[in-house]
Amino acid sequence: MTAASLELVPPPRKGFFAALAPGGVKVLFALLAVGIAFLFAFPVLWLVLTSLRPPSGVYFVHRGTEFTFHNYAEALAQPNMLRAFFNSFAISTLATVLSLGVTVTSGYMLSRFRGPVPNAWFSVIYVLRCVPYISWVLPLFFVTRQMGIFDTYWGLLLPHVAVHICFFSWIMKGFFDGIDPSMEYAALIDGCTRWGAFFRVALPSAVPGLTALAILCWLYTWNEFLFALMLTSHKTPILTVVMAQFVHELGMEWHLMSATALMALVPALIVTVFGQKYVIRGLRV
Amino acid sequence: MTISEAELDRPRKPSLFGERQRFMLLLILPAAFGLAFFQILPILTGANASFRDWSLHDPKMTWVGLKHYFYVLSDDGFLKVVLPNTLVFMAVSVAVSLLLGLCLAAILNRKFAGRAVLQTILLLPLMVAPVVAAIMIRWMFNDQFGVVNAALEAVGLSGQPWLAQRWSAFAVILMADIWLWTPWFALLLLAGLQSLPREPFEAAAIDGASPWRVFRFLTLPMLRPVMVVCIAIRAIDAFRTFDIVWTISAGGPARSTELFSIYAYNEAFQAMNFARGSAAAMIGAAIIVVLAMVIFRVLNRWVEVSK
Repeated sequence: MTAASLELVPPPRKGFFAALAPGGVKVLFALLAVGIAFLFAFPVLWLVLTSLRPPSGVYFVHRGTEFTFHNYAEALAQPNMLRAFFNSFAISTLATVLSLGVTVTSGYMLSRFRGPVPNAWFSVIYVLRCVPYISWVLPLFFVTRQMGIFDTYWGLLLPHVAVHICFFSWIMKGFFDGIDPSMEYAALIDGCTRWGAFFRVALPSAVPGLTALAILCWLYTWNEFLFALMLTSHKTPILTVVMAQFVHELGMEWHLMSATALMALVPALIVTVFGQKYVIRGLRV
Repeated sequence: MTISEAELDRPRKPSLFGERQRFMLLLILPAAFGLAFFQILPILTGANASFRDWSLHDPKMTWVGLKHYFYVLSDDGFLKVVLPNTLVFMAVSVAVSLLLGLCLAAILNRKFAGRAVLQTILLLPLMVAPVVAAIMIRWMFNDQFGVVNAALEAVGLSGQPWLAQRWSAFAVILMADIWLWTPWFALLLLAGLQSLPREPFEAAAIDGASPWRVFRFLTLPMLRPVMVVCIAIRAIDAFRTFDIVWTISAGGPARSTELFSIYAYNEAFQAMNFARGSAAAMIGAAIIVVLAMVIFRVLNRWVEVSK
């Protein structure tokens, strides 16, 4: 290599810190990463610490050295607790399956068709997406009462599915926009019906996106509070409501709330640890 | 429109309710049913209530027309506190979460030891129930027992009654919201980063571009479409935030940190005037529908420019 060609390719520029101390960038980077992780984890760390303190110690979590696992046993022994776990799990799973099933076709329609009907449908979705929860959660209470499904699985499931319809249809449209429709075109020419083209060709290509949405939907429903508070009562206890009720005006049972919250965190953590790579792979909007 | 789209889209029979129409309608039928019964019906119920005198104690329900709308639109509390609060909240929350999310996505997009662990920790806010997180944050900022004041006093500063002052309470709420939503931004942006083509980056590396210039002139413009989707979705959500504010301050002290959802809720349930609450909710819905269209237009132009 000649000197002239070397000049054409300038050496990689060194940053300020790299010049100051070799290896310094790496140390700084590590410090930054640890700092950010600490900030993000702090409220959860605090939850862990609170859940391990005896009831008398929770007001000064940062003082004192007694720690106990008794809170977990006490929380689990609460009436309704196991049912609340089961209900939350069932509602999250069913809501995920139903929401995806309902919106995948709607998103496909939005992505593949042009004309007045898709335009009208998109406008409906767009406007309804903007309407604040508060303006329909309050009446929803009366509506589910009228239908006789208040405080049942259906009374919580169907509103949850309805919440997701607008947002998921929008995202699903994005998924299908990213999939080349020429394969479906070929399938149609080969004598496939429109439904066949959708189920056999388009749907399998959308699986990564669907997986990502399924994971996010499950986490969202597992942690959802406002709907559960408004639309259920003692017949269908839901975990987030049970947790929040430990801390109310009368009794501040911080130790029970934090112990329950941590137990509720475990399924979510498992889903996230195993699911995050699918989410990142699938969420190419 | 490409040829293939035209084919899927081509009416096979030129009738009004042909095979193509039937297919389209069947595709959206289940979703349409869900929306009709569990979204449109409740909204209409609420809209109906907003034109009547319907307090929870006294359900006579006389038609009063736009009375409640005039009340809300001439209420100083709504115009001078709630609206500015909501807009500032929306702008700051979205902007800071986007910036932080972008930084985190850029960090997570590199390869280093412990990356998977860091990523899982950063996603913690998505795993904790927001209501629990909000209760915990309120507790941490408690003026007597909170860890924040304890830490301040330990280094010799005096503790603050965080939730008893307007702006510090507002800041705590904002911080909680940013904490909750930054991972969401980071996740979407990281997905976007990982799907970018490699060639421009290789070209830049050969040209010896500095990391900052690569980020500024390659990564950022190519990420714009993803960022637009994130901003549009989050801006709408931030406008209608309810649960965090409700748990941390319930709009206090003295209704000074009310966002518009809290205002509607307080009017409906604290002031026991369901109709006025519904009217406030309708006004908010109208504002955000218009605002969302403006945001969408502006952002779309921004993407066009980058192409």
